[in-house]
Amino acid sequence: MSRTVLLAAALVACGKAPEAPPTPPAALATGLDYQDPASSGWRLVRDPASTKARLLLNLVGPAGLKTRGVGFNLKAPPALHFIYFDETGFPIRDLGVYDLKNSAPRAGPDPLEPVLLAGAVQKENKLTVGIFQKDRRVTAKDSGAPVLQIALELAAAAQAHVGDDLTPVVAKSKLLPDDIGAFDAGGTLEMVAKGHLSDFTLAVGALHAN
Amino acid sequence: MRTEALAVFLLSVAAAAAPADRAASAVRSAAALSTREGLSARSTLLSAQGTAIVQLAHTYDGYRVLGSHAVAQVLPGGTVRTSTQELLQNVSVAGEPFLKPDAALALAIDRVSPLGTPVGSPTIERIVFPAQLTGGLPEGVFDRRLVVHARPAAPYVWAYQANLELANHRVFSVIVDGNTGQILRNTEIRESFAPIASRGTGLGMYAGAVPVDASQLADGTYALYDTTRGTLPNPWLERFTPDDSGWTPVGMQAWFEAHDSRGKPLGSAFLFQQNPVNDWGDGQPFTAWSNENGQNGQTAGVDALYGTAAAWDFFKIIFGRDGFDGRGTTAVAAVLQTGPLLADNAFFSPFLNVIFLGAGSYPGNPDGLASVTDLEIVAHEWVHAITFGNQLISSDESEEGGIVEGTCDFFSQIIEAWAAGPRTAVIPDTGTDWLVGKGITHGGFLRSLVKPSRNPRVPDGWYGGIAPLEPHSKGGPIGRALYFLAQGASGNPADESYSPFLPQGMAGIGNDAAARIWYKAVVEHLFGDLNGKNSFADARAAGIAASLELYPDDPAKTVAVENAFAAVNVGDAHGAPPHTLVLFADFRDGDWINRAHDFYSNRQVLPRNETVAPRITVLNNANTAVTWSLGGLSLWNGANQFTTSGGVINPDGTWTTPNESSWHAITATSVADPKQFAEGRAFLINIDMDTDLEQDAIDMGGIAVSWFLGAALNPAHSVFTAPFVDDTDVAYFVDAYRSTWPAK
Repeated sequence: MSRTVLLAAALVACGKAPEAPPTPPAALATGLDYQDPASSGWRLVRDPASTKARLLLNLVGPAGLKTRGVGFNLKAPPALHFIYFDETGFPIRDLGVYDLKNSAPRAGPDPLEPVLLAGAVQKENKLTVGIFQKDRRVTAKDSGAPVLQIALELAAAAQAHVGDDLTPVVAKSKLLPDDIGAFDAGGTLEMVAKGHLSDFTLAVGALHAN
Repeated sequence: MRTEALAVFLLSVAAAAAPADRAASAVRSAAALSTREGLSARSTLLSAQGTAIVQLAHTYDGYRVLGSHAVAQVLPGGTVRTSTQELLQNVSVAGEPFLKPDAALALAIDRVSPLGTPVGSPTIERIVFPAQLTGGLPEGVFDRRLVVHARPAAPYVWAYQANLELANHRVFSVIVDGNTGQILRNTEIRESFAPIASRGTGLGMYAGAVPVDASQLADGTYALYDTTRGTLPNPWLERFTPDDSGWTPVGMQAWFEAHDSRGKPLGSAFLFQQNPVNDWGDGQPFTAWSNENGQNGQTAGVDALYGTAAAWDFFKIIFGRDGFDGRGTTAVAAVLQTGPLLADNAFFSPFLNVIFLGAGSYPGNPDGLASVTDLEIVAHEWVHAITFGNQLISSDESEEGGIVEGTCDFFSQIIEAWAAGPRTAVIPDTGTDWLVGKGITHGGFLRSLVKPSRNPRVPDGWYGGIAPLEPHSKGGPIGRALYFLAQGASGNPADESYSPFLPQGMAGIGNDAAARIWYKAVVEHLFGDLNGKNSFADARAAGIAASLELYPDDPAKTVAVENAFAAVNVGDAHGAPPHTLVLFADFRDGDWINRAHDFYSNRQVLPRNETVAPRITVLNNANTAVTWSLGGLSLWNGANQFTTSGGVINPDGTWTTPNESSWHAITATSVADPKQFAEGRAFLINIDMDTDLEQDAIDMGGIAVSWFLGAALNPAHSVFTAPFVDDTDVAYFVDAYRSTWPAK
């Protein structure tokens, strides 16, 4: 009881609470830290070849799910910089799951044959990437393995601090399913009915400046 | 002496007779002739290798079987090769001919005497006539009626062959049936007759009163047919069958398109002919539809033949060139052409060796041209023969088209100057106004070589992306460069011959030297293969090379070539540093589009309805900044009618493209040197395959759905919104991404 009174008297004497010691500012980040999502569905998983400076994320699908291609859009804060790969000229790298070429080229294999692999960093730091098998005569592929890779770095001018949450937001994600109608060169009503992309949920892990 | 000489002769005869006998024996064995048939040596030739070539006439009871013969080769070793393909089989004739030779000859003379007075000693020979040979010249040829000779019922009949010569030097071979007296065949030995060259007078609408090199034909009438120019047949004229008028496809001539009385073409063409006097034309505009061969219609023929002959003579005298192809192939001018593409036009057909010249739609059409037969127009078309001879083409999408048309314009003026003078081996410096088409435009002109931009459709100088211009327009700089070379450029900005690309001006080297350099450049240094690959820079290099070859001891002429081209922004003036160049360069570096669609090598594929930054290359200047503008000269003067402009150029220089899939013209101008600019092409494509109004990489899924199907499942799956999707869509989609959102 008496202790309580004393405390109250002290408070009255000072007129305000005592100041907390100042929190030191967080250090400027020099890299990225990523925690894989817990999902077993479509998810972006850290590639072991990542470094602190460059984060490589692989798109992995549900084991056993067969698809013919996939694409998604990510919106990221300005502190994130999506990297273009030298070998593709796009911010996407093919990891070899999909068969991207014509299965029956008339004149044989063509190293210059165009394939459906592209991506861009568009305004407001939106990443869009896609990879699709153009030839529907090719079988769909098991998406349980990494199908594509993207790369991120901390934007040099961003002045992000350690611990800043930089997790990108999925704006759109679609896949080309296995069943897009039985192949018929002339086209069928079934192909028209089934020839569409499907939405899927893409899980992104926590991404922080580090 | 006399005895010895005779012996040698007899030995020669004996030596020659031996192979003939062996040949006849071999053929007889091969052909299984009857006992009444025989073979008679018609000629024996001894080749340099010692082979005797023996021609054997086929006989029946000792009389020649017309059209039946064999050939045998008797080799030096005695081997005989026979050819009996032309030997008729199963020849048999009954009885004896009823007619005597004199009677048959009288019938033959009676038949041909309307064509001229028989002279000399006609020959008559009894023969066996195969009925299958009935025919030859129709009778009564002068009224163009076809009379069919009656064919004998028997396969072979007795007949007489009469060979007759007329006072007009025509020679006929007439076959008379030995029993009926019918004419079985009448053949003119054409080699003996030629039209008689005859210089007449003409009154052209442009040429005025001029001599006309015409011909008198067999019937005594005249034709616009000049046998003095041309030694090989004209390919177009070879489609027409010669009659007995003496006309042949050899010799320069003027033809006309025939029409009904309202001017509708009848689909036929004729030589100007059947003129009873050798006076041609009335000098007036053409109005006499359906009577093109009359005096009024002849006017166009006079102008055309006059111009064609002048150009022919120019190239013959100045350059030693024999006609269009240098080999003497006959040139033809076909006038009074009509139809929407021909009436106000002129063109040279390289495959027919014909210059087609429009009738002109003026004054019925106030905007049309008068008769397109002025000398300079004919000369322009004539020169196309030379450029095409090197496979250079007046193409819509290459600079080569400008080289060709500029060359034709230049020589049209040079020929005009030469034709106006004494027509000697030196081209005069005066005699033309350097305006193309002044005569046919009733007071105006089509193109100026002094200042091409007097016609706003024609540029004064080269710029990057000039190729899509209409060929005559992009020929402006070439024509101007050649004018500068011949006549010089002024240093006074107020003068028409001033060029900001050569502000100090230059002296010309004269028409003669300029024409000689450029002829040599085109003929000996500019070669194409119908793909239009030559650039203006190639033309400049050709001119320099030709000058060095022609005038090795006169470097000033080569300097003049350099400066003349520099004055139209092709290369630099002699000794000057490289000037700023703005280019839509080939940036593809051999990619699939480069390989599959070379046309797109320096054309950009960009998304519609997006903000983009087109590529541009600026050389020879540290300041590579450009200002962008939409459109370009080709938009309203290009051969490609499917190009437009649109969108907005933003303050930062980017271009917000319109929502329109088509070719767009864009122009970049150097900030450092605004004289230098380039016009480029961008094709705006659809990249929103799922039509969600968001242009993202997911759209590629639409391409995948429809790729290579017979018909796309949705036109939106195509970058062209076309009913088909293939690798072109794949490549262009990806290319648009590379251009629009490059790595930064």
